[in-house]
Amino acid sequence: MAGSMSRAAKRAVNRPAGTATRAVRVAALAACAALALSACGSTKDAGKAGAAGGEGKVGVILPLLTSPFWQSYNDYVPKMAKEEKVDALKTVNSNSDPAQQITDINNQLNQGVKGLVVAPLDSAAIAAGLDQAERKGVPVVAVDVAPEKGKVAMIVRANNVAYGQKACEFLGSKVKTGKVVQIMGDLASVNGRERSEAFRTCAKDKFPGLKVLEIPAKWESDAAASKLDTLLNQNPDIKGIYMQAGGVYLAPTLQTLKSKNLLKPVGDAGHIAIVSNDGIPQEFDAIRKGEIDATVSQPADTYAKYGMYYIKKAMAGETFKEGPTDHNSTIVKHPSGLLEDQLPAPLVTKENVDDKALWGNNVK
Amino acid sequence: MADTTASKVAAPARDASGSAADRKKTLLLSRARELALLPALLVLVLVGALTNESFFTSGNIISILGASAALAMVVLAESLVLITGKFDLSLESIVGIAPAMGALLVLPALSSGFGTEMPAFVGILVILVVGALVGAFNGALVVKLKLNAFIVTLAMLIVLRGLLVGATEGKTLFGMPDAFFALATSTFIGIPLSVWIAALCFGIAGFVLKYHRVGRALYAIGGNPAAAKAAGIRVDRVMLGVFVTAGVLASLGGLIQTGYVGAINANQGQNMIFTVMAAAVIGGISLDGGKGTMFGALTGVLLLGVVQNLLTLAQVPSFWIQAIYGGIILIALMIARVTTGRAQD
Repeated sequence: MAGSMSRAAKRAVNRPAGTATRAVRVAALAACAALALSACGSTKDAGKAGAAGGEGKVGVILPLLTSPFWQSYNDYVPKMAKEEKVDALKTVNSNSDPAQQITDINNQLNQGVKGLVVAPLDSAAIAAGLDQAERKGVPVVAVDVAPEKGKVAMIVRANNVAYGQKACEFLGSKVKTGKVVQIMGDLASVNGRERSEAFRTCAKDKFPGLKVLEIPAKWESDAAASKLDTLLNQNPDIKGIYMQAGGVYLAPTLQTLKSKNLLKPVGDAGHIAIVSNDGIPQEFDAIRKGEIDATVSQPADTYAKYGMYYIKKAMAGETFKEGPTDHNSTIVKHPSGLLEDQLPAPLVTKENVDDKALWGNNVK
Repeated sequence: MADTTASKVAAPARDASGSAADRKKTLLLSRARELALLPALLVLVLVGALTNESFFTSGNIISILGASAALAMVVLAESLVLITGKFDLSLESIVGIAPAMGALLVLPALSSGFGTEMPAFVGILVILVVGALVGAFNGALVVKLKLNAFIVTLAMLIVLRGLLVGATEGKTLFGMPDAFFALATSTFIGIPLSVWIAALCFGIAGFVLKYHRVGRALYAIGGNPAAAKAAGIRVDRVMLGVFVTAGVLASLGGLIQTGYVGAINANQGQNMIFTVMAAAVIGGISLDGGKGTMFGALTGVLLLGVVQNLLTLAQVPSFWIQAIYGGIILIALMIARVTTGRAQD
């Protein structure tokens, strides 16, 4: 091996720089440039496939499948599609990668879908995909995340700012003064940022007695566990916790508290008030056991249901207006002109944890 | 040993013909390495064309190419580094931070930019400069300080990712001037500019590696740095140059990705390095350095792109898609092994 390499090396050294090759390269570049001038175009040139006539296949794109919330959404999609009489293709998972999500949208469009229900990973990094759909005349319903740019027929979403506020107001009603900690999501994600910001602002404005400590945990359970551990060592007097995603933070939080002997049931003197976010069955169990106080239920079932509901109407050419809806929610208009149906996200406490209407109680 | 010396002395003519045959054999082997994935790629395309009528449409093929362009640039960058026998893991973070720096300088403070509002061309220039600077820094750490490339660039990966999240406060940057998106949105004969650029870069790199002394120097260094040095190659300088080039190529990949997505997410490029390594290695680039061709690396990129596309079109249940994706890569490797009959390293 070494022998042959050194031979190559010698050849390399002995070889003079090729002026001829350089000339060829320059000529090739020039030719390209000349051609480019005559044949330039844009992806925007792609012709419209004509407006959809109300029927046809619908592509459903998921952001990730590694959280219980999106898993149940994924389960609800085929059921709700059937209920709403929508011909939905099998769901596609973008696996937490915004670029993959654009590719997924393109792939679905190439397959000739007439409508798309997309849960964007990122409010801005979905723009290119929405543009492609618009060019092909395919309506899109956005679920969970409101796009900042691009056209969608409707945004189906529970307000993430409201999550943070609800959690803060609940925690504020339980803890008057002292330290509370929020275990935050990925600050590179809109949902993580909005929940964090809302909780922080609300605590500052409405509950000046609270001192908010923060754990950036990037939706990662091990990060949550180790950072909470450190923080509890430093501040043994923490009185409340807000977990921004029960799906990933519930187990590590309870585990850490248990190992420090700080997990006392609701009502005990040393109980740390805990509010979670998601509404998965495991959180409901923890509420029943008195380990945590409450959770904000992010409605996986209505996400799927109204995603299908709106895409069907949009494909039939219907448009929507601001104002209250027939299903206990309100359609609001964003500054960008996009409409958002703000589905209710109930706060679940010991009082209503057994409510059959909560999706967390209906998971198989 | 004694036998060969004897024959060398006795029959110099036979020795010459023997080494020519040897060379022919090595050439054939390197050819095989280069073309190893083609049969697998052809099988996949055939399967795609037969099982799904939307697969072999020009729209779909173009969207596979468009989706692979950014990855191709980073694979190209990584392949150059791998051939010299080093690693650069931080390339995936360059894909995020380089375009973000350009965007931050251009965007007004209101859209979470720095508020300097420089013209778009400055921003684009900055993107490439950032790529070059990061590459130069990596190169200096590896070449001058003689640190282990794998660990150093892993640290840089984390540092750069952190800088990006810090500089943007985690926000997604959007609303950049159209120039930032031009590579992915403008087309030439119906195909996005990004694809042409990737093809051109692969062409140039392949040409230089094969025929230019600088390219040959890369193989020499990757094969045996000491021997390369003894042969008069300025190893340090070439290596530094490779890191800088890789940084620039990755930043160009980042710009393409930005155009493709239409915004810069603080996670842009995250975990990309695994796909990059996979594409390079299944394309025949050796992790030990000194081996592999640009054509091979390109087939690696295309293979991954085609597989992703096929799985979506084939309506594979989402929960299983990754397992099947990995499985197909494994099978592709096996097909490559069987069809070329050569052992892999």
